[in-house]
Amino acid sequence: MSAELTAIILLGLGYLALLFGCGIAVERGWISTRITRHPAVYTLSLGVYASAWAVYGSVEFAANAGFGYLAYYLGAAGAFLLAPVLLVPIQRITRTYQLASLADLFAFRFRTRWAGTIVTLVSVLAVLPLLGIQVKTLSEAINALTGTTAGSSVALLFCLVIAAFALIFGARHSNLRARHNTLLAAIAFESLVKLGVMLALGAVALWGVFDGPQQLQQWLSGDGLVLTRQTPTLDPAHWRTLLLLFFTAAFMMPHLFHITFAENLSRHTLLQASWALPLFLLLMALPVPLIWWAAQKTAAAPISVTAYAAFIMSEHSVVGALAFIGGLAAASGTMIMVALALSGMVLNHIVLVAHPPEARPDLYGWLRWLRRGLIVTVVIGGWLFHATVGSHHDLRALGLAAFVGMAQCLPGMLALLYWPGANRNGLVVGLLAGIAVWLWGLWLPLFLPLPTLWLPLPGEPIWYQVTLVSLAANILALIGLSLFTRTSEGERSAAEACSVDAVIRSKRLPLEAATVADFSAQLAEALGDDVAGREVNRALQALNLPPQERRPYALRRLRDRIQANLSGLMGPSVARDIVDRYLPYRHDDAPVTDDIHFVESRLEAYRSRLTGLARELDGLRRHHRQTLANLPVGLCVFGDDDELVMWNRALAELSGISGESVVGAHRDSLAAPWPTLLQSALSSPSVTLYKQAAHLHGRDYFLTLHTADLSGDDSRGGRVVMIEDHTEMKWLENELVHAARLASIGQLAAGVAHEIGNPITGISSLAQNLRYDTDDPVLLETADQIQTLTERVTRIVSSLVEFTHGGRHAATLPRSPVTLGRISEEALHLLHLARTREAVTFSNTCPPDVVVRGDAQRLIQVMLNLLGNARDACPPQGKVTISAGTQGQQAWWRVTDNGRGIAPDVRDRLFEPFATTKPAGEGTGLGLSLAYQIVNEHQGSIDVASPPPGHSRGTAMTLWLPLYHPDKQQDDPPPHAEDSDC
Amino acid sequence: MYVYRIMLFLVFGGYLLSPFLMSGWGNPEIAWYRPFLIWGGLIALSVWLEQKRKLDER
Repeated sequence: MSAELTAIILLGLGYLALLFGCGIAVERGWISTRITRHPAVYTLSLGVYASAWAVYGSVEFAANAGFGYLAYYLGAAGAFLLAPVLLVPIQRITRTYQLASLADLFAFRFRTRWAGTIVTLVSVLAVLPLLGIQVKTLSEAINALTGTTAGSSVALLFCLVIAAFALIFGARHSNLRARHNTLLAAIAFESLVKLGVMLALGAVALWGVFDGPQQLQQWLSGDGLVLTRQTPTLDPAHWRTLLLLFFTAAFMMPHLFHITFAENLSRHTLLQASWALPLFLLLMALPVPLIWWAAQKTAAAPISVTAYAAFIMSEHSVVGALAFIGGLAAASGTMIMVALALSGMVLNHIVLVAHPPEARPDLYGWLRWLRRGLIVTVVIGGWLFHATVGSHHDLRALGLAAFVGMAQCLPGMLALLYWPGANRNGLVVGLLAGIAVWLWGLWLPLFLPLPTLWLPLPGEPIWYQVTLVSLAANILALIGLSLFTRTSEGERSAAEACSVDAVIRSKRLPLEAATVADFSAQLAEALGDDVAGREVNRALQALNLPPQERRPYALRRLRDRIQANLSGLMGPSVARDIVDRYLPYRHDDAPVTDDIHFVESRLEAYRSRLTGLARELDGLRRHHRQTLANLPVGLCVFGDDDELVMWNRALAELSGISGESVVGAHRDSLAAPWPTLLQSALSSPSVTLYKQAAHLHGRDYFLTLHTADLSGDDSRGGRVVMIEDHTEMKWLENELVHAARLASIGQLAAGVAHEIGNPITGISSLAQNLRYDTDDPVLLETADQIQTLTERVTRIVSSLVEFTHGGRHAATLPRSPVTLGRISEEALHLLHLARTREAVTFSNTCPPDVVVRGDAQRLIQVMLNLLGNARDACPPQGKVTISAGTQGQQAWWRVTDNGRGIAPDVRDRLFEPFATTKPAGEGTGLGLSLAYQIVNEHQGSIDVASPPPGHSRGTAMTLWLPLYHPDKQQDDPPPHAEDSDC
Repeated sequence: MYVYRIMLFLVFGGYLLSPFLMSGWGNPEIAWYRPFLIWGGLIALSVWLEQKRKLDER
């Protein structure tokens, strides 16, 4: 082995060791995640586009087509400059549905595994020449530097190391969409190396060979003019075709699709790359002509192998080493990413389609090992392609064979994004037609001589004609068959999900699985218990749903998420098969309606992208929605299938159930009493149900429900229910009815009182006559007592009449001194006349000096009522005590009994008229209300303690009355005439 | 979205007119770096439009 060869091997292995070091540094966290997750790292990793073609092939291209070599860079730059309209929609679809490759995307959109399989096959065939270019440049660069023919063997060694790197850092996850931070950082590092090498080579050319820009310009105008004018000019049509091919390759080559969409962090990052990658490519392209011109200036004879002009422009070994490292960095990055991307595609669309995964205990591990085997196969396949075929063709022939092949997917991609009418028949036939032309015209001729294909443009290069004919056949078949053959329902819905401007009308279909546990159990049949449980939990976490979730809307989202996650694991075809089979929709007679909630969620998510009329309409939608949401009346909307679509804020407050937790739920699954209540409203022939009783938050409510049908020509169906809280109104109504009853009783009482008045007057007159007609002291006392009692009856009747007229006494406030002890005796005396409950003992302990200001008769009436109640409440041998005292400017006057006390529910309405606990006929319920009114007129108050403090039973009724002050009487008006009676 | 339409127009316009870029090769009257200047200008425009888009979406 020559010294140069050994040095080159060591140099190459040293560089690859550095790459491993970079990977380990990221893996171990020696490099901050702030750096590894920076958008610049993503942009630099996209620099993998600049493969060995960019380092060597571009120089060869520049030598043969002048600035035509720029097509390679400008095509890719154009694709990324159009990122907002081209790449971002693809990113949205791939992220939403967890699609990791072009084959996944096509299989998802066109709902056929054939689409995925064909795209995978064409990718494998197209990528082989690209891999061949990487190995070929490595091999030939080694040969050129060392002057040996060992390049191919050394390239195999490097390929094995590269495959090991891909295995270690790129195949740890079974999910193809898992972001590989280490790998991206390593690829970004390689891009930096490539860029640094190219700029360094450009600098050597400009200042080392030409002594600066001025001398370069002089050379171009002098000696170099002859040489540059000898360079063939690229035909504009060829140039545009090349631009199109490289434009396509920039995002459709498997490795570029993988980095652009599967490894991407966000839309923002992609948009940043839309200008950053073109800048990177500009810097990569800038040194290419300088290197070529410098090599031309340096070379003594015409250069035969133009791709490696960098080795010629300077004899300094460092320049050669730099160019070699640049080529190795470009080749290794491409091979690593191609191997990872292609292995995933082959796994999902060939291996798993041929052998669907069964309920394996270690499904994840099985998938990982399959993928590792495929990675090694791809890398070794690239080397084999070079060894058998690639070495016999120049870089340009190999590159064009690869890029024209991948361009066959361009019509399908454009249809996927912008033409929902395209169907699988058109796609498959179009792809097959285009691929057939490409294989026959460009790819197979790499292996064996074939009869020339009939081509319509004689004299034009084969690659140009094959490109045009294959794409034309592809596009015509796609359009023709799509127009004239049927599109399935599944395809149509997938087309709506993928199309940029599609009207998405997701349907509400009922699922057979009714709970999350059902999901796990049904999926376990396909994936095994462990994997099924993990996938369901992963989907629940992603959607932030609880394991107890039962809402149909949430379960549909869970199904979609599981399908998307499985798609990331084993491709959309297999994922769809599993989900359709084990988590099927229920096909019954239930009406199928649009999933309005889902549509709204999507509109909210994509709101910032709406423009013009769509934005105006969305603004209007939000305004109407806000109006309904903030309505101070409860409102809910149901679809035709009784799934809840809206639950506004007022209803959330009334019910205590948040809208987020119930929207999407079936009506029957709402908490009681709502299902019954809403069912009765929706099934009622009347549009309004008035004051329906409902028990909410521990109290009774009265709700009025109004319903309306939402069916109509442009409507999506459903019913709306408006719910008003009429509890307060119901209470007021009850009060009004009660008051009306009282008023009628009052009128009755007034009439009765008036009628009683006449006989009482007669009795009083007769008693007075009796006094005049006899001197018998017994009869005289009887006549006095009759008169006293008739006066009392008269007062009671008068009080009753006054009560019915309400507050008439307030204006004639009594002012006389009244001794409480004395009127207590009076009241006891009168009470004894009734001669009932003799067994109850009454005692008057009032001191004689407690004098209040008031009306003695009315206060006796109060005391009589209190004593009567106390007596009635006492058991036989009960005891009733009257006591009094002063406190401050007030006197207290208390009646205490040891009776049964007052129940708490009665205490609240104790002073209401007609409130009585006595049996019918024994009490009117007016006594305490009259007492309350009288005490109130005396500017006093009544306290009730039942039982009194320090007692286990009984009641104490305490009256608080203002004390009488003789001094203040001077300022008061003259006392009422009858006050002096006592 | 209007910003994107500008970019769409520029890229497709550039695609149609791009063959003129090649005329600088072997022509001493045209600076060899002219294609790169035009390309750099397009990138600067793209950066400016991206900033404008960010402001629009706020």
